[in-house]
Amino acid sequence: MSEPVLRARDIVKRFPGVVALNRVSFDLRPGEIHALCGENGAGKSTLIKLLSGIYGHGTYEGTLEVGGREARFASISDAERAGIAVIYQELALVPEMTAAENLFLGREPKRYGLIDWKLMLKESRRLLKEFGLDIDPAIPTMRLGVGQRQLLEILKAMRKEPKILILDEPTAALSDTEVDILLSKVKELRARGLSCVYISHRLEEVFAISDRITVLRDGASVTTLDAAKTNSNDVIRHMVGREIKDLYPRNAGKTGEALLSVKGLSVADASGAPYLEDISFEVRAGEVLGIGGLMGAGRSELLMHLFGAWGRRISGEVRLDGGVLKPSDPTESIRRGLVLVSEDRRRYGLVIDKSVGFNMSLSSLKKFCRRLFIDRHAEAVENQGFSKALRVKAPSLEAVVGGLSGGNQQKVVIGKALMTAPKVVLLDEPTRGIDVGAKQEVYGIVNDLTAQGKAVILVSSELPELMGMSDRILMMHEGRIRGQFSRGTSAETLLAAALGKS
Amino acid sequence: MKKHAALRDFSMVIALALIVGFFALNSPQFLGPRNLSMLAIELSITATLALGMLLVILPGQIDLSAGSGVGLLGGIASVLVFYHGWPAPLAMAASLVLGIAVWLAMGTVVVRERMPSFIITLGGLLVFKGLFWLVINNRTVPVTAGAGANLYSLLTTYYLPKPLGYALALAVAAGWGWISFYDRRERIANGLEAEDGEMTFLKAFVAAQFILLFAVVTNQFRGIPLPFVILGVVAAAVTALTEHTPFGRHLYAIGGNEEAAVVSGIAVERTVITAFAIMGAIVAITGFMQTAYAGASTTTVGDLMELDAVAACVIGGTSLKGGRGSAFGVLFGALIMATLLNGMTLLAVAPEFKYIARGAVLALAVWMDVRLSR
Repeated sequence: MSEPVLRARDIVKRFPGVVALNRVSFDLRPGEIHALCGENGAGKSTLIKLLSGIYGHGTYEGTLEVGGREARFASISDAERAGIAVIYQELALVPEMTAAENLFLGREPKRYGLIDWKLMLKESRRLLKEFGLDIDPAIPTMRLGVGQRQLLEILKAMRKEPKILILDEPTAALSDTEVDILLSKVKELRARGLSCVYISHRLEEVFAISDRITVLRDGASVTTLDAAKTNSNDVIRHMVGREIKDLYPRNAGKTGEALLSVKGLSVADASGAPYLEDISFEVRAGEVLGIGGLMGAGRSELLMHLFGAWGRRISGEVRLDGGVLKPSDPTESIRRGLVLVSEDRRRYGLVIDKSVGFNMSLSSLKKFCRRLFIDRHAEAVENQGFSKALRVKAPSLEAVVGGLSGGNQQKVVIGKALMTAPKVVLLDEPTRGIDVGAKQEVYGIVNDLTAQGKAVILVSSELPELMGMSDRILMMHEGRIRGQFSRGTSAETLLAAALGKS
Repeated sequence: MKKHAALRDFSMVIALALIVGFFALNSPQFLGPRNLSMLAIELSITATLALGMLLVILPGQIDLSAGSGVGLLGGIASVLVFYHGWPAPLAMAASLVLGIAVWLAMGTVVVRERMPSFIITLGGLLVFKGLFWLVINNRTVPVTAGAGANLYSLLTTYYLPKPLGYALALAVAAGWGWISFYDRRERIANGLEAEDGEMTFLKAFVAAQFILLFAVVTNQFRGIPLPFVILGVVAAAVTALTEHTPFGRHLYAIGGNEEAAVVSGIAVERTVITAFAIMGAIVAITGFMQTAYAGASTTTVGDLMELDAVAACVIGGTSLKGGRGSAFGVLFGALIMATLLNGMTLLAVAPEFKYIARGAVLALAVWMDVRLSR
């Protein structure tokens, strides 16, 4: 067996009050794709920051070896010089700049001290072609799709000719076809002898691509498995330290009257063009209505419009609990009992620099008011109640919400929505980017809500989740509903509807 | 991060101590009762405007027109009193209502038309300055019609009778202590982290000492100046607004993440417009005090006061991006700015160097903020 290109031995990383990594060991063989799996907060991000030189030598215990020799990175550039390139989850491209400008950012070809635009475009074209990317190097990257941008980012990293490529959740925002392209590119790079550390929440991907899998739990490396000799249940068991029997524990109960009904709804986007057309459906008390479809099918826009935060209504009527809900604003929607948990919690959900308590009670401050002032005692009691019920893991209600793991942040957003005592809850991708354990808890919350006689609309890109948690499913395609399905419909039928083939 | 915050607070206290020490060494009158009373009046004027500025900066806006507004609204009240014989209270009330209306309009334009407040209020800075000079016709307009005093002139010349001053100081000190202990008890009752009881006592004790010392010192001159009482009321109101009302929470939320604020059901437009309207009232009040302190409305009243207000906010830890800042910090920032100006005037520093020093302090404070809040 050849010498590993990268090896971590008994790494311990402490922060004031917490041990983030507790004796983590793993090794990366040449030409191998090695997946790191673990729940949020298991220590993956910390480990990557160590490998990429953000946490320099001396801030941790244990040793890091690159190519058989101990590596003592003082900075990111040290790690880059050692041949380590990192692709982060958040894209690091300048959206206003063109693909070519981004590729050559910081190392622009010059002629007489000025940028040689011609050469830059020519070189970019060559590089893109070589990598098999069909992108015009002269258009701003903000006009590219997320998938193309992600691939461009990899190409940019490849220009530094790394030996080790670390991919941190590269597919979190990609559609299935984009994921396939990305995975095949990474496999190509492996064939060229590059070693990869691959981090993803999506286990199907992990199994599709990796040679070995190291599982982290609570900051420790639990085990390293051969991908060919294990399965996802095994990995999940190691990740959570227990067996999860039923991935989608939906308890369907009796449904009541229709709480939200939509008739003939058509909505125009900012440009005035119709985006959603002729949409009709209803949701009953105690029911989970799933809405599926591909990216751009209009699912999030539909929820945002119902909530009053997106689009201009052309026609149609929305009734909430019997009364007409005019297209208005979120303030009115919340007052009437309709609440939205958005898909992008950092953008639409949280005031990230503020505390857990600040965020949780933000939509419900009025109910704590005695005359003009907030009764902070009543507020704290309510916050505590919700954070306990939702099992938010935070040092205290005054902890800054940005410091929590994704799953706990999501629970804070859900807590904020539920504190408004809604009748209808719109959940847009409520389990995106959160770990298996937290997902289970979110499903539990959905069950509790319907048991209390509330109606839930669940938008999800994950077909198994949609099929597992919904009582009825609508599939959308290009702004229209392409079919209503009952629980138990096959995945093939649903997909066909999503692709507009019905 | 907590350590940094402490370091940051500490560095501002050191800066103030250095400034005070420097002036005390170079000018024997600096720490005298008369000058400290004047400083209290100047601080009151600067800090009142800065507290209004805080309400505008918290949701991520800015008001550059405040200084011109101070001149204009003070000038309008002066003209109504001197040329038109209006009673002072009525003249000030009219000017106050006008201030609220104009700032309400600016706030409405900012949120409805999505114009950056930087531009709207920069326009306001110039327009109000021009209107101001038109209103007073480039002359000096006294704040009283005859030789006697009126409510307008008394704003900065009235001092509380000494026994009343002591009584007020005692009441405020006692109130302060009661609130700190009440707050601590509440926190413990709610299961939140609370500081040590001795620490609470020590803080309340030191605060009480300062309040009483202030009363003793000002009573050696003429008593607690009325503007300081006005500042006390404004500061209490702004503290209550920002920390204890939904309006205040919403200001922080809008400044912290406007999109999330919208989705959380916050009426963003109404909240920002309200902040501007309150700013209008505070600009008017500051205008009356500043004009009265100058003795008359002249073309230079209010010059650059908007920048002192912004500086006080930033020195006091307010983020210009919005979402961060407190009334207490702003008071502290205003104290640094007012002390600096007062000391330099006392030392007869030439205006050119005054400008340079003010600018340097502002830049330095922001630099430290950036360094220490990383």
